[in-house]
Amino acid sequence: MFLRTVLSRLLTTLVTLFGVAVVVFVLVRVAPGNPIAMMLPPGASEDDIAQLTALYGFDKSLVEQFFIWIGGVVQGDFGTSITLRQPVSDLVLARLPATLELSFFALLIAVAIGGVAAVIGARRRGSPTEAAVDLTSGAVLSIPDFLWGLLFVLLFGVLWPVLSISGRLDPRLEFDFLTNFVALEGLLRGRFDVAGSAFSHMLMPALSLALPLAALIAQLLKQNLKEVLIQDYTTLSRVRGFSETQVILRDAMRNAALPTLTLVGVQFTFLIGGTVIVERLFAYGGLGNMAIDAVINRDLPLIQGIVLLFAALFVAINMLVDLSYTLLNPRLRHG
Amino acid sequence: MTMSSTLNIQNLTVSLRSGLPLLGQVNLTLEPGEVRALVGESGAGKSMIGKAVLGTLPPAARVSGGQIFLRGQALDRLNAAQRRHCVAQSAALIPQDPLTALNPVRRIAPQITDPLTRIHGWSTERAQARALDLLERVEIRDPARVMRSYPHELSGGMRQRILIAAAFAPSPPLIVADEPTTALDVTVQKQILKLIRELQKEVGTAVLFVTHDMGVVAKISQKVSVLFQGRVMEDATTEAIFTNPTHPYTRALIAATPSYADPSRSFSPVPAELIAQMKSEIAKEEVW
Repeated sequence: MFLRTVLSRLLTTLVTLFGVAVVVFVLVRVAPGNPIAMMLPPGASEDDIAQLTALYGFDKSLVEQFFIWIGGVVQGDFGTSITLRQPVSDLVLARLPATLELSFFALLIAVAIGGVAAVIGARRRGSPTEAAVDLTSGAVLSIPDFLWGLLFVLLFGVLWPVLSISGRLDPRLEFDFLTNFVALEGLLRGRFDVAGSAFSHMLMPALSLALPLAALIAQLLKQNLKEVLIQDYTTLSRVRGFSETQVILRDAMRNAALPTLTLVGVQFTFLIGGTVIVERLFAYGGLGNMAIDAVINRDLPLIQGIVLLFAALFVAINMLVDLSYTLLNPRLRHG
Repeated sequence: MTMSSTLNIQNLTVSLRSGLPLLGQVNLTLEPGEVRALVGESGAGKSMIGKAVLGTLPPAARVSGGQIFLRGQALDRLNAAQRRHCVAQSAALIPQDPLTALNPVRRIAPQITDPLTRIHGWSTERAQARALDLLERVEIRDPARVMRSYPHELSGGMRQRILIAAAFAPSPPLIVADEPTTALDVTVQKQILKLIRELQKEVGTAVLFVTHDMGVVAKISQKVSVLFQGRVMEDATTEAIFTNPTHPYTRALIAATPSYADPSRSFSPVPAELIAQMKSEIAKEEVW
């Protein structure tokens, strides 16, 4: 039974990724803009154009091109970037840690802020404090991530320049990295100056990405907490002498977290989508920033590679959410 | 009406925030080790009395008059934290619906032992031993396994027995049993009543037993308060209630009880004229 679930899940994943591959492959080719024209100087001869077109295989039919590409992908060969002349897989994997660090740091901030706001709101339900939580989260939610980014640049980069507004790290720092997880490696290897620099570079973009999600978590988790807090078992806990805060944290939180979790999983994939523009805004060397360059330069193999990786990331996150849902809910764990 | 009473309620009035009264001028006392039944139809306010004592009134309701003394301590003189502490030390609740009264994502063991260790200051070993002992006492087979279980793995009858064990675990002077058998089927009801009565005698706990079932009243209580529309119509010993009921409403309630022993015996609903008459009397008393 368990094996069947895993197998069917794996099959769905493959079908999803294949669908994404087809769509992105066709889309980048029907979209206006010719990569060959971007590579040659103006006034190149017909011969040169034909030669280069043949070199990259653009003279073959769409179906043929697709199967050449997907055949490579299955073997781990995602093609070569037209502009950067390096294997797409190398380029993309070098950038992935930057985006992962940023996204998960943002998720951490969102859960922390949203969680605390939800608990305070639920604790003081029916009071002006709850109304303030509602009002604030509503206002925060109505501003998208890139606008938060612009606002932060203006506030902490220009008016009161306390945070660095571009890059991942202070370039003056000397450190021999083993991986591209700059913040994580700095932490684990005890180089707190490196980690500190990495986190201070991530703070503004991460906060921009996190705020809308934090507001959503605050609203949703508070609502779920309030629904749990009228259940009989919470009444029983109060009679037994537990304070309202204890009842919320010990009895209500896990029950309220379950329905919240599903939505946070979906919203987290939106957050990762948001990195494309926010990374650009802060010149942060992640996948999203690279994706914009690839689109501007019509670097078709690179675009395809990045989109496929994003799709795989989304599928993985959904799997993680399902898994943690099962772990948190004993009713799903057995049988 | 002495300071030694476990529970002493004087002129208790509970009303909705809109002003609508739910309980009017309720008086009752509960001596140590005594069982008092609160009977009445749905909406008579029987559960409301227990909720007022335990401090679990719904947000729309509040105590608007009178006093509650729990082991001599006037509850209205305490702040919220003191009150919570006082109630937790003196009282416990056996809830109506065992299916919703256990936290679905936590195992049984901490739901019994947590209050003992964290509120009553017991050691983990002592709480664990007490929980096992009481689970055995309420006739749960393999209590060690049940302690490791989640609520959804257990039947309704088992869950109610667990809740009874949890209520008696700290040996509280007072237990409020809020229709503890209503959600269970008849065969399980009898067992549950027997367990509550036995444990009550053993531990010496006073019980405020909320029920609408006169058959249950006869089995479990020494005293009875009959309620109608938030008023105490009659307050007497159980024996007197059944042998010599003074209030016509009490007589009507007894007549309305079907007999399981003799199903052929006829029973009649409470007459509508009586209810109308009582309602008009209450309306006359009410000072608006």
